[in-house]
Amino acid sequence: MEQCACVERELDKVLQKFLTYGQHCERSLEELLHYVGQLRAELASAALQGTPLSATLSLVMSQCCRKIKDTVQKLASDHKDIHSSVSRVGKAIDRALSLLLRQNFDSEICGVVSDAVWDAREQQQQILQMAIVEHLYQQGMLSVAEELCQESTLNVDLDFKQPFLELNRILEALHEQDLGPALEWAVSHRQRLLELNSSLEFKLHRLHFIRLLAGGPAKQLEALSYARHFQPFARLHQREIQVMMGSLVYLRLGLEKSPYCHLLDSSHWAEICETFTRDACSLLGLSVESPLSVSFASGCVALPVLMNIKAVIEQRQCTGVWNHKDELPIEIELGMKCWYHSVFACPILRQQTSDSNPPIKLICGHVISRDALNKLINGGKLKCPYCPMEQNPADGKRIIF
Amino acid sequence: MAVQESAAQLSMTLKVQEYPTLKVPYETLNKRFRAAQKNIDRETSHVTMVVAELEKTLSGCPAVDSVVSLLDGVVEKLSVLKRKAVESIQAEDESAKLCKRRIEHLKEHSSDQPAAASVWKRKRMDRMMVEHLLRCGYYNTAVKLARQSGIEDLVNIEMFLTAKEVEESLERRETATCLAWCHDNKSRLRKMKSCLEFSLRIQEFIELIRQNKRLDAVRVPARRSFPSTSELTVHMALERRAPSTGLEASSLASGSTGAGKTCKKALQPSRREPAGRGAPGHGHAGLPARHAHLPVQGPSGPCTVADADPAVPVRQLPTTPAGKQFCVHPHPAGWPLSHQDTCYKEDGSSKSPDCPVCSRSLNKLAQPLPMAHCANSRLVCKISGDVMNENNPPMMLPNGYVYGYNSLLSIRQDDKVVCPRTKEVFHFSQAEKVYIM
Repeated sequence: MEQCACVERELDKVLQKFLTYGQHCERSLEELLHYVGQLRAELASAALQGTPLSATLSLVMSQCCRKIKDTVQKLASDHKDIHSSVSRVGKAIDRALSLLLRQNFDSEICGVVSDAVWDAREQQQQILQMAIVEHLYQQGMLSVAEELCQESTLNVDLDFKQPFLELNRILEALHEQDLGPALEWAVSHRQRLLELNSSLEFKLHRLHFIRLLAGGPAKQLEALSYARHFQPFARLHQREIQVMMGSLVYLRLGLEKSPYCHLLDSSHWAEICETFTRDACSLLGLSVESPLSVSFASGCVALPVLMNIKAVIEQRQCTGVWNHKDELPIEIELGMKCWYHSVFACPILRQQTSDSNPPIKLICGHVISRDALNKLINGGKLKCPYCPMEQNPADGKRIIF
Repeated sequence: MAVQESAAQLSMTLKVQEYPTLKVPYETLNKRFRAAQKNIDRETSHVTMVVAELEKTLSGCPAVDSVVSLLDGVVEKLSVLKRKAVESIQAEDESAKLCKRRIEHLKEHSSDQPAAASVWKRKRMDRMMVEHLLRCGYYNTAVKLARQSGIEDLVNIEMFLTAKEVEESLERRETATCLAWCHDNKSRLRKMKSCLEFSLRIQEFIELIRQNKRLDAVRVPARRSFPSTSELTVHMALERRAPSTGLEASSLASGSTGAGKTCKKALQPSRREPAGRGAPGHGHAGLPARHAHLPVQGPSGPCTVADADPAVPVRQLPTTPAGKQFCVHPHPAGWPLSHQDTCYKEDGSSKSPDCPVCSRSLNKLAQPLPMAHCANSRLVCKISGDVMNENNPPMMLPNGYVYGYNSLLSIRQDDKVVCPRTKEVFHFSQAEKVYIM
């Protein structure tokens, strides 16, 4: 971002100026102190001898006074000069990051949202805290979640916490390359994992086997006996089992030098953590990413767009266009991964279908909404808008996505 | 991450969100610079004074001893100057370096490696959460979260903690801390034309009267803390209770027992409240929100009328700052995007585990919000979650339910398919292709 670069440049200049000024200040004051110290020593010796102030000393003294005055005043004014650089930083920040009319930042953001949102605020706060607690649990920040529960006097029942606690425990073990808890969990949930077509158990066994292999020829017998665990997976993962068995040949040489060195890749560990998280979440009926983070991310994308369009609407003075209640005025691109539900928009009326206006499939296979169908009825017959096929309106079949 | 943000979208979001991130350390830098300048100027004038004295004695015929002692004074003042200058510059440097650290963090958003970008997004989420928690008053949680995510540098915790102290002292009915804070931020408050200090002085006055320290009360410098007489009258007009401080002062100070209803009201403990709400309104953040008062919604007390105006508070934080933004983001902005009718079907049959709006808490929160706008159809197979398009054409079973072709293939067993939603069994060939424009 170029604007950030601009701010950074100004900041660097200021930092540089502070540095040089600091050094200069310290140096000149040191010199002054040293000089005055010397003078004082001379004067002190003169005082001891009881001689009055000589003219030269007097002259030197007045010169010294002048020098002191000049130095300190210069220091003060030098510091003042840095002020312009400092304020330039502020201006750069304003240019880079401020919206129009920063004073109305509040109202700008609020204007994007309808007022109904802020009613029942207390209740909403409660629900929001709950969502935050859930998010924290899902991220594995258990202590923070506990603290929040305490501070906000939210009661989270143990049933809700339990699966997360367990998940977290297993994940921590996996991070330390301890496969035990994960294997236990996988075995106990074997049936449901199979329903999900998950190969988690196999992958865990595989990792263990590879680790045994990495132990060298000493572990050969152990590895072989462990290989019996592969038997239930023989049908589904035949190829991989063959690869692993083949790698036994190179056990004496060391796997790193064999064509099977890719088995020792450390990325397998990262992958197994991910697989475990995904499968565990599906079992629990949770999404992999917490709902809060997804909505937050989509909000980050949406907010600037909505603010822009609001500014345009106000500029063109057609405020009626955006009625806050029903729909957003503009489509916001979030990427295909965010398509959680099917949305059918009738191609004729350009509106989303709903329960009261469902999509209807015509005989020819084209789909339009019921309202559009009713509009197209002409004398008891219906002509499909896409292919010239005539049909009876009653023949249309309601479909569900 | 589920939500894909393009580079252009990211930089737009930065503009909306990150202003306080940079502005707050800048304001601290500015403040420290001004303090440093004042210190240096003050010490310089001390030095100049002592040197002038020395020069004066030199012009006469001084005794050496007096010159020596004056010189000692000069040395002392110079050392003080040196020390203060070094300290001030260090403080300024620190603020500037903090600014720099934050900028570097912001730059990382556009890094090329996807891992770094997703770490940045994670940190952004944590940052916003910390700010939100601070505004809700959950300070311990916020501090813990910041420490755990390693974002202590990037959030403005100290500011809120300072404000918390001021608030707590106000709740204990002490004006000293708040007055000190006002003094600290004098110039900004003056720019905002804030009545905070004035209200505080009135409160101090009232408290002293209540404790029967009338003489001290009269000495409270009410006039001095007010910018101009015109504003004084404006403030008095807003004061529904006392017609003028003069009246209050004189009647109370003279100990008249026939104090009118107005004066009695002024002594009510509830006078504390507006001052309390005023402070946060000036200081920062959603503390107004905490006291169930949003500047946007309008004032709930005489003092807050004035407070509602300056939406640009002392440290350049939006009054209902990013914390509300945090509420705004997930609340209204985010959810409409995924918000569909299907998330609210009564039998809960069409809930998707991945959809954030279908999740328990967000469901309730998102209910009053507008729906997302979709001009084009996008179809998702209920079985696999994959997109249904020309590569995976939608197929309708005789019961009207539609699934993707690939998913039907995968659940096909002996040429039959079982509809996952109604459990009816159909022949594979009974599935008809559906054409979506």
